[in-house]
Amino acid sequence: MLLVVLGALVAGVVGLAQRWEAPIRPAVEIDLSPSALPLYTLLSLSRGFAAYLLSLAFTLVYGTIAAHGRRAEKVMLPLLDIGQGIPVLGFLPGLVLGMVALFPKTNVGLELACILMIFTGQVWNMTFSYVGSLRSIPGELQEVARLHRFSFWKRFRTVEVSSSVIGLVWNSMMSMAGGWFFLTVTEAFTLGDRDFRLPGIGSYMAVAIEKGDRRAMAWAIVAMTVMIVAVDQLLWRPLVVWSQRFRNADIEGEDAPESWVLNLMRRSRFLRRMRLRRRRRSRAPTPPAPPESAGAVPGGTGERARAALVSGLGIAALAVALLGAWKLVGLLVRVPAGKWLVLAGAVGATSVRTFSALALAAAWTLPIGILIGRSAVWSRRLQPVVQIVASFPAPMLFPIVTGVLLVLRVPFGAIAAVLMLLGAQWYVLFNVLAGASAIPHDLDEAADVYAMKGGTRWRTLFVPAVFPFLVTGLVTAAGGAWNASIVAETLHFRGTTLETFGLGSLITKATREADFPLLTAGVLTMSLAIVVLNRLVWRRLYRLAETKYSLNR
Amino acid sequence: MSARPASAPAPPIAAVRGVDKVYADDAGRTRSVLKNVDFEVRSGEVVAILGPSGCGKSTLLRILIGLIPPSAGRVEQHGIPLEGIHPGTAVVFQNFALFPWLTVEENVRVGLNGRPLPPFEADGRVKTALKAVGLEGHERAFPKELSGGMKQRVGIARALVGRPELLCMDEPFSALDILTAELLRTEVYRLFTERASGLSSVVLITHLIEEAVFLGDRIVVMGANPGTVRREIVNTVPHPREYRRDDFIRMVERIHDVVTRVHLPEVEEEEPAAPTLPGRRPAGPVAPLPAVPMGEILGLLEILADHDGTMNLFDIDAITDYDFGRTIAVAKAAEMLDLVGTPKNDVVLTDFGRKMIRASAAERPALLRAELLALGTFCLVIQELAQEPDTPLAADAVRDLLAERLPTVDASELFETLLNWGRAGHLFEYDAAADTIALFSGREEGAGG
Repeated sequence: MLLVVLGALVAGVVGLAQRWEAPIRPAVEIDLSPSALPLYTLLSLSRGFAAYLLSLAFTLVYGTIAAHGRRAEKVMLPLLDIGQGIPVLGFLPGLVLGMVALFPKTNVGLELACILMIFTGQVWNMTFSYVGSLRSIPGELQEVARLHRFSFWKRFRTVEVSSSVIGLVWNSMMSMAGGWFFLTVTEAFTLGDRDFRLPGIGSYMAVAIEKGDRRAMAWAIVAMTVMIVAVDQLLWRPLVVWSQRFRNADIEGEDAPESWVLNLMRRSRFLRRMRLRRRRRSRAPTPPAPPESAGAVPGGTGERARAALVSGLGIAALAVALLGAWKLVGLLVRVPAGKWLVLAGAVGATSVRTFSALALAAAWTLPIGILIGRSAVWSRRLQPVVQIVASFPAPMLFPIVTGVLLVLRVPFGAIAAVLMLLGAQWYVLFNVLAGASAIPHDLDEAADVYAMKGGTRWRTLFVPAVFPFLVTGLVTAAGGAWNASIVAETLHFRGTTLETFGLGSLITKATREADFPLLTAGVLTMSLAIVVLNRLVWRRLYRLAETKYSLNR
Repeated sequence: MSARPASAPAPPIAAVRGVDKVYADDAGRTRSVLKNVDFEVRSGEVVAILGPSGCGKSTLLRILIGLIPPSAGRVEQHGIPLEGIHPGTAVVFQNFALFPWLTVEENVRVGLNGRPLPPFEADGRVKTALKAVGLEGHERAFPKELSGGMKQRVGIARALVGRPELLCMDEPFSALDILTAELLRTEVYRLFTERASGLSSVVLITHLIEEAVFLGDRIVVMGANPGTVRREIVNTVPHPREYRRDDFIRMVERIHDVVTRVHLPEVEEEEPAAPTLPGRRPAGPVAPLPAVPMGEILGLLEILADHDGTMNLFDIDAITDYDFGRTIAVAKAAEMLDLVGTPKNDVVLTDFGRKMIRASAAERPALLRAELLALGTFCLVIQELAQEPDTPLAADAVRDLLAERLPTVDASELFETLLNWGRAGHLFEYDAAADTIALFSGREEGAGG
């Protein structure tokens, strides 16, 4: 099943790309003067938001369907799992070529490709969170909705969305941050001598690096930071705080998040007697539902029509998947046997790099995360800072980090691992931080009373308590690292191309040489590697975390 | 003050002298939890610290053994200033505080941490401790697999294994169901009276009078807001203690009287009166409100009505299954509203209370409102709101105001109570989303004019 779906996806994208012909649209010139930056930043920002709106719409529709139909759920949830696992960056070349082929004369295709790439980076955890909250809505609430004959729309608004708002807002924030990673890569996409740049902050940075213009690089970083901080403070913080009103009262009591923007809107501490305009909210009770007309009997024709629609859609999807699988086989048989061996070796090389990156990430985030998370003051102060730093798209920093490490005579094979770490480490840090601040107070006191110091305390209390969080962070980071290998193992740097053997560089190379069978094989291999590692390594660690190291006493 | 008399007996194992503890919340409002507390534990005694929840008794314990520092005052161990954690102490925690990833045996071994013992001796001690609490055969189990009672046995074994000179028990039975708690209490009593495992002194934190009388040699009664030591009573009930024996019951009643007098004084202390609202009778002082919802106050009236309008506080405890602190708080609240009188240990329904019971749900708010307007705290807030009657006021402004006038009270908690009563009496409206409070603007005439 998994293979068929994946295959269909790969084959579809590649099929589109193969029809691609020489570009007719003129290449975009990037203006490196700082005065051009605000416009570029706005362009990039709007791409991010377009993708976000798409993700939100997808989440609401997909999640609602997946949570309601019992049969749909069986297919749709595993699909999400696969979607989260696939190396989206591997699809970038195919997607770009395909989209440009669809709109050869304008930038529309490129823009769409860019937005779609960001979308694929954002959408999965939002949808997961939404489906998760839908499935945990208390049964009584749903019964109330049914007893009072809520319409679909009303139920959606009052029961479903409001139960999932907190998770959705939080994951939206995370998703937007993750999306920037792809934004800068897709904007600055070039394929050999073919130029697919879009005007934006990512391409600005790319050109600045190409030309070695340090001032422009600095400006780009400043602009990116300003954008991230502004979005965080003006949009997400207020939304997060606002969403707390949907908090289930039973869980109340923990630290409530704060937003200065919302605080300003609501009240000000300094002006103790600031008066507010009354918020006029309709307090009128909702009118009783009209008596049901004879026609709409629940479970009647409507239900049957829906069942028919679902099964029809299922059949259509299956047909498309089979067709894709057929095409996929056609592509894969063209990959010579020797190449498969190379691919296997490349999986090994990139695995080593991924795991070294994760080990490095764990090595520094574990002590630092625990130290920060243990201090309420510092974690409150640093959490927003870390969040903003983490949103910064790592590919923008690749050339700088590479430059420094090359001076230190680090081989590029190792540098690539560091580059993969660059984006992935934050997931680990976030989780360790959260874990450290969740260490129960009484365990801490017990450790005090029974004179646990230094190493003993770390071994017996801190590390085990944080372990489940660490695993969650590492799993997410592993996915990110695999993805990043595609941009990290091949790097254009000061006019030269640095490359190291690995699955990521193989995929990049296949793209450059338009070797579609190899590209397909590469993307497929990577997806498989991720899935297999998930089953072999991560799932076991998860089980350990959930049983032995769970704090649910 | 600082010089000890030369002829003094051995200094106490642990002591606090003139200790204050002040907490500040995020908004910068301070709350005094302990005020000028003197307390000591002498060698070989079991001290029970008795007080309602929120009176600072757990805080006192934590200061005594060095888990948290006091805001002012001295902490001593064996007559010298305490640095860090008291070296001879062990704690049994209310919620067990076991490490979920360690087995029962490993958890108990934590109690030997930092004591260099030869391995066979350590093993032997762990075994003895496990045996003392009846945990043999559970050595390899993880805490998750155990019931609450078994978990607390692990907690007790962990505390005993190090042979502490000072065993601290912080409400050790309150997270257990009644039957399990009773069984464990009896076993702990046996451990105490047999002085098993080299047990020397014990501090027991509790909110149950019977528990204090059953286990304690000396009973320290604490008052709340801010927490202070009000009375110390030597427990004269001889061993073996039994709940049904006359001397035990008499002791419980005596402590009950003391507690009632501490928490429900006959004469209100005079405090500066709040400005009187125009056209109303003079309001009482701005005083804290007992943190009980109006529903419970009205519930108390119903119970009283079912018992001919008068009942002993002790009997109300038995019916409601509340601890004495809560019952007293409800009675005190009802008394503030003239619904009951509290001569000695009795609670008696007043005429107004009877009227309240007979009133319909629709009539009650009006009755309540008149009473609330006679309370200084409500007058204070209403005056503030009445300055601009049509616009809501940020609730934080009210909390600040309360904190300013009543610095020893948790302003947020007081605000909750104020809101609960005020809403029941149709005085206030509250917008939770905006966290603002306004004068009631329902169909009836606006309150407070």
